[in-house]
Amino acid sequence: MTSPSADKVVPLQALGGLVPDGASVAFGGGWFANHPMAAVRQLIRAGRKDLHAITVVGSVDMDLLAAADVLGHLSFSMVTLEAFGLAPNVRRTIESGTLPFTEYTGLGMLIGLEAQGRGMPFLPYRGPFGSDLPARYPEIYATTNCPFTGEELTAVRALQPDVAIVHALRCDAEGNAQWDGTSGPDVDMAKAAKRVIVTCEEIVDRPVIVENPHMTKLPGYYVHAVIEAPFGAHPTSHIPRYAMDAWQLMDYAGQAGTDAITDYVARIRSESEDDYRARVLTGRGDVLAALVDVAETLEGANL
Amino acid sequence: MTAYDVHELMVTRVAAEVDEDGVTVMGSFTPLAYASYMLAKLTHAPRAYLAGFDAVGMSPIQLSFTGAEAAAYKGAVCRWGMLTEINSIHLSNHGGVEAVSSAQFDGDGAINLSTIGPFDKPKVRLPGGAGAAEVIKMYRKMIAYFGNHSSRTLVDKVEFVTGTRWKVGAESRRQAGLQPGPIIVVTNLAVLVKDEDDQPFRIESVHPGVDPQVVVDNTGFALDVPSDVPVTAEPTAKQLELLRTKIDPFGTVKFDFLSGKERLQYLESILDAEWKRAEATVR
Repeated sequence: MTSPSADKVVPLQALGGLVPDGASVAFGGGWFANHPMAAVRQLIRAGRKDLHAITVVGSVDMDLLAAADVLGHLSFSMVTLEAFGLAPNVRRTIESGTLPFTEYTGLGMLIGLEAQGRGMPFLPYRGPFGSDLPARYPEIYATTNCPFTGEELTAVRALQPDVAIVHALRCDAEGNAQWDGTSGPDVDMAKAAKRVIVTCEEIVDRPVIVENPHMTKLPGYYVHAVIEAPFGAHPTSHIPRYAMDAWQLMDYAGQAGTDAITDYVARIRSESEDDYRARVLTGRGDVLAALVDVAETLEGANL
Repeated sequence: MTAYDVHELMVTRVAAEVDEDGVTVMGSFTPLAYASYMLAKLTHAPRAYLAGFDAVGMSPIQLSFTGAEAAAYKGAVCRWGMLTEINSIHLSNHGGVEAVSSAQFDGDGAINLSTIGPFDKPKVRLPGGAGAAEVIKMYRKMIAYFGNHSSRTLVDKVEFVTGTRWKVGAESRRQAGLQPGPIIVVTNLAVLVKDEDDQPFRIESVHPGVDPQVVVDNTGFALDVPSDVPVTAEPTAKQLELLRTKIDPFGTVKFDFLSGKERLQYLESILDAEWKRAEATVR
């Protein structure tokens, strides 16, 4: 619980000081949507090491952290570059045995977060019966029974990240954070974590939040730091502001499995986030926004 | 009969399974599954209830790699997050028709999206199953689709069970608190169905021109082959027109049927078309 009236705004450059080496960090977003990529880049610039990253459906965020040797452990239910292939650096580090990992079932991870958010040591559910995954992790999954009917259920242990980093559309200085498009696991990661860092497309005054309170998915009392990071999910999407930058993702995927990734990471390290935006978005940002506008629904079935 | 490609036949066959009962969460942008749901919604199942990304109760959308997510929100009636979706759809038994693909699939209805080789020291670390580990068990119908029907993918036993249908027959599913419904496999050669725990998959139909023996030879698990195997219904001219002009004008579904250099070039050409359409509105 943080003071609801505090001004929690810090610059992106302060992020490294908020996330110690070795911390477990839940990263929001899912698929190619709304990963907190400005924060990912900043953790690389800050030289963080041995982070235990937690993702439900990770993509370029996890692969870039693996490429930059930031990770000490990876907990995930999926990591993929989808149309651009498997995630080369996550693959390489797991296959070579250098990155310890925990593969969750997707629902199991979310229920572990839910348990922590509700102050429970575990939650039961009708689990992934028949899957080989639970037996791999007796410290996470166990068999339990309904106390009333005896039905066999899966218990999943509460999952408490040291830090959750999520990217919102807008946020005020108190940390009242709003989403309009994909929020994925963001809110439930935040509720489970000891500390919450919100990056956002823009910091706004409280009255802007109050105008549309139904969009506030994370009230400020959960939040410890607020960081303004325009295009902070790039090259993943932030609906309704911009679509995924498939061209930058393809560029990344082309280099990620080769020696060129060393230079790619070195460039991220050596430039500021302002430099990054200028380099990849000049003359392109408006088209990434237009991709959202031109996306079409089809006539004929809006009953 | 309009000429068609096999991926179009697969879309129409998967679409035929999509009905108006229950809710389907589509998750990441998988073009063949998305196209099938959209086709169903524009034809026989307009009330099919879909969730894509965090958009719940979607309108049908035009497919594109960069625009599918934005389009999903435009006609949707509700915006949730992942946890609300799994609690409100999957775990509460509202799941309708789940379409998945996987690196390996076996005759028990198990999928492997985890590893080739030892789990701790994999030869190939696969992406992981996300919600599929639980969801393929829970949904009323499980559809598994594969663009390359091969005994390397359709194996006797998966190397690692990421998730499985678990209970298959209607009665055993009911007893386990699950909705009864079959496993349907749609490939580039045939349609396979399993609806009993102790019976193998049977060939429901072969696609036009496919010899059932070729299906058997390319399947790693036992198949029940009826004495007279029907032929899969071909796409109609209307379905093809909807797919080509409305649902998937950029050709995203075909992408997953290409390999190697051709695949990358094809992706670049689609993305180029998507970029130009957007750019034209701001330049």
